[in-house]
Amino acid sequence: MSESAAALLDAHPRVRVVTVDFFDTLVTRKWAQPTHVFADMERVLVAVDPSRHGFAAARVGAEHRARVRAAADDPHRDVTLAEIHLELSQMLNLDLDERHRLAAMERALEVASARPGGLGVEVAEEARRRGLRVVVVSDNYMPSVHLVDMARAAGLEWLEASDIFVSCEHGGQKHNGRLWRTVISSLGVRGSRILHLGDDPRADDAVPAGMGVRTHLVPHLRTSHRHARNTAPSVLPLSRIEADLRDAGVTDRAEVLGRGAIAMVVASQVHHGLAEARNRGAHDVHFAARDGHLAHGLWTRLRERDPSMPRASYTSFSRSVVWRAMLERLDADNVHRFVGDDEVLTPERLGHRVGCALVGAEPGVALGAGAAREILVANADAVLAAARTLRSRFLTHLRRRGLLDDGLHLVVDLGWTASTVADLADLVAHETGGRSRIEGLFTGLYWDATPNRTRLGMRGVAMDEFAPLDDNLRLLGIVKYMEALVTAPHGSVVDFDGDGTPIGAETEPERRAWDTVVGRVASAATESAWQMLTGSHPSGVRAGDLDGSAVWAAIMQVAHTPTPAEVEMLSVVHHVTDIDHEGEGRPMVAPPPAWRTHITDAEFLVIHDSLIRRHWLRGSMSAWRNRGDSDWMVDEIERMWPHTHPVWVHGGVPR
Amino acid sequence: MNEVANEMVNDVQVVMRTYERPVLLARALASVRGQTRQRLALTVVNNGGEPGIVDAVVAASGMRGVSVLHLPARMGMEAASNAALATSESECFAIHDDDDSWHPRFLESAVAALSGRPDASAVVTGVVRVHETMTGVRVWPVREEHVPLDEGCLTFRGMIGHNPFPPIAALFRRRVLRDVGAFDESLPVLGDWEFNLRAVTVGPFVFIPDVLARYHTRTPESDVGTANSITAGVDLHRSTKRLLQDRWLAEPPVNGVNKGELSVQAEAALEAEETRLRVEASSQAEIERRVAEIAAQRGLLRRIGGVIANPSRGVLAVRRRLGR
Repeated sequence: MSESAAALLDAHPRVRVVTVDFFDTLVTRKWAQPTHVFADMERVLVAVDPSRHGFAAARVGAEHRARVRAAADDPHRDVTLAEIHLELSQMLNLDLDERHRLAAMERALEVASARPGGLGVEVAEEARRRGLRVVVVSDNYMPSVHLVDMARAAGLEWLEASDIFVSCEHGGQKHNGRLWRTVISSLGVRGSRILHLGDDPRADDAVPAGMGVRTHLVPHLRTSHRHARNTAPSVLPLSRIEADLRDAGVTDRAEVLGRGAIAMVVASQVHHGLAEARNRGAHDVHFAARDGHLAHGLWTRLRERDPSMPRASYTSFSRSVVWRAMLERLDADNVHRFVGDDEVLTPERLGHRVGCALVGAEPGVALGAGAAREILVANADAVLAAARTLRSRFLTHLRRRGLLDDGLHLVVDLGWTASTVADLADLVAHETGGRSRIEGLFTGLYWDATPNRTRLGMRGVAMDEFAPLDDNLRLLGIVKYMEALVTAPHGSVVDFDGDGTPIGAETEPERRAWDTVVGRVASAATESAWQMLTGSHPSGVRAGDLDGSAVWAAIMQVAHTPTPAEVEMLSVVHHVTDIDHEGEGRPMVAPPPAWRTHITDAEFLVIHDSLIRRHWLRGSMSAWRNRGDSDWMVDEIERMWPHTHPVWVHGGVPR
Repeated sequence: MNEVANEMVNDVQVVMRTYERPVLLARALASVRGQTRQRLALTVVNNGGEPGIVDAVVAASGMRGVSVLHLPARMGMEAASNAALATSESECFAIHDDDDSWHPRFLESAVAALSGRPDASAVVTGVVRVHETMTGVRVWPVREEHVPLDEGCLTFRGMIGHNPFPPIAALFRRRVLRDVGAFDESLPVLGDWEFNLRAVTVGPFVFIPDVLARYHTRTPESDVGTANSITAGVDLHRSTKRLLQDRWLAEPPVNGVNKGELSVQAEAALEAEETRLRVEASSQAEIERRVAEIAAQRGLLRRIGGVIANPSRGVLAVRRRLGR
């Protein structure tokens, strides 16, 4: 028995009855949130009837419609399962048999997913040992007999239907207080003699406390809840992992993120990398620095167990290195690649960026983009000479990594346009006379990848430009998030020494982020991904579960619908995007624009563009939502650009 | 369930017509490469374009076993299709133009549906029209438009007034070519519509509602060479339709019904319906404009209300304004 259960009851010696919330307090389910049982139903239904795609979203919608209809009748009462399935049958054109079959299936899956709920169970059982009456008080559409079935499935044999007050049977809910009045009057004790345990701040704390009931809130059990409408079979692998972590009492959000979505991304890099390499007959696999760091480590460990796996390298290249190594002319047409439009640079930093000293500029005096570009063009001969020596050192690195060997090489990278890998493919093919070829495997690609397909054979695992437009835009909104969290403890490569050893740009913002958050995420992701790849994950999720739609769903769940705690944790992270990988970078979570009473549509366009290209879109919007003075901006952005709305599951076909 | 539902369709030929659009061709190849069903034979028909470019793009795609048919001179779209179809004896075929794309499960789903309906001539899936802009090598989507389809649209009467779906949404059984003949090479456009109307007379078209096909068209802002026949040749479509209707009007009636008359009547009914919808949409737009005005006004009132309820917000706003 936990000491906290005894301590909690000791702290309330005058209590005669202990009431316990049911879902996520006394009993949890193997899913991260209640609606995911509908996703499990859809998974089962689609296996025999593909036209059932979208069932889960319809079931969520049916409940909403039933609630609206019930509220019109009596705003205080709860709906019943039968009312919800009546709505569902109208939406999906079901006959009576199908309606009853689906309702029975839902109840059966609920029972099968039931687990005992930690502190809720401990308090209830300790109260029973002390001779106190234990009663369940729940806001739910399921009847009390069903809750008994679930409790028994979770090992709680003592619960009887007569011990249960459920909103759908008493014409009132905990939320609006009517059910509480029924409970207090039925129990025949004063509120002060009741101790209630639950997870909802209003229904389980504020409302009953207002009636004199002693309350104890256990809110961490609902930290795994995200947006209810994002319910589809693709969310189930992450849901199982997050439910496991919740039930194990893991509350550190870095660990939850790492063990969940980030581990799924990393494990999918390894899993799909291996499948693709074998399918394509690749000579070897090259994980791109830095986002292939964790996957490369896992691959190396797995290959010790299974030497039949192709060799893998951790290959260092970056946009700036490849550009410079391939530079054959520098003039007004291409100099913009080296200086961003809004940059201000000293001549020293500019020279560092192109690998040579520059003449014609006053040391220490900051240059705007135009002046910096003019200085570079004026020094074109020196820049090109430096580029040639960089190319030589870079090729040495590629040779040592095996990329210049004859045959097909698979490069694994996060994404997003494949332009750098396509440039690398051109360089390698040119250097080897076409004997060495590269193909790419990317976690995500959006429309700007299309032109690069003329130079590079490639595939997007979770996303590519063939997905709907809104998903392409959602991908853009999470690029900074993914790059910041799926990374390595070292900086981006900016050069190589004579023997091809990469030289990284170590920046203070990235070091700080690694030390405070990212390193913990990476550590948890590594362990969890290893468990998935070796079939030993405690949730039961295996590498084979990580198809493209599951990986996309995991990314969307955490990066498009983050919890407030996740946003707060990641607010310290800055993303260094400058070409030379120097500077302070930009905060991933953007600060809101200065408060104003009016923002024009044109200004909103600039705000949206900045959020999607420079920051973490939904993380920033979530932070703004929680501020009293910028929530209206979020409303406007969601109205103007539907892809920014939290709901990312659409009625179409999952990828 | 049909008793012969277990008949499995084995071979699929995918015909990809292309003419000097290497970026779009590369995307189309990736669409086929991404199919979950990989038992297929891809025939790229280079319709008179520079052979070296097509060969290079096919090589870069990493796809194996692609047949490339270089036509010596540019010919009509339907002649290009027929030339490619003549190279295979597959049980079914699909026309995947070089600018369109499929969902990864298109072939898997369409083949399964065709296998389950031996009587069917074709399977048609849900399709979305992607309006995209292409300048230089860059191509990006601007908006998407759902193409309204249902089983009724795929009947003879549903198709006689207009062509309800683009070729990218369909998978045909090859025996249809034997039963009704090949694509009509005399038609510069609308050859797919004319073929569909013959094909549906020898077997129904099965509909899969899932959106598994994407029909890409370029916006007017795009480079000229990237345009679709449908966006660049509206007049040609109209005149070809008239020619086809005249041809059908001259044909003898079948069961007392003349195909040309039916087409003209259906087209007229469709145009009337479209006019009605346009009028409704313009009224709706006016209502939405008014609602937006009211919402904006309410937004301002809500913020003022917020300041009244929470004066510190107002103080903060004033301070920020002064600070600017």
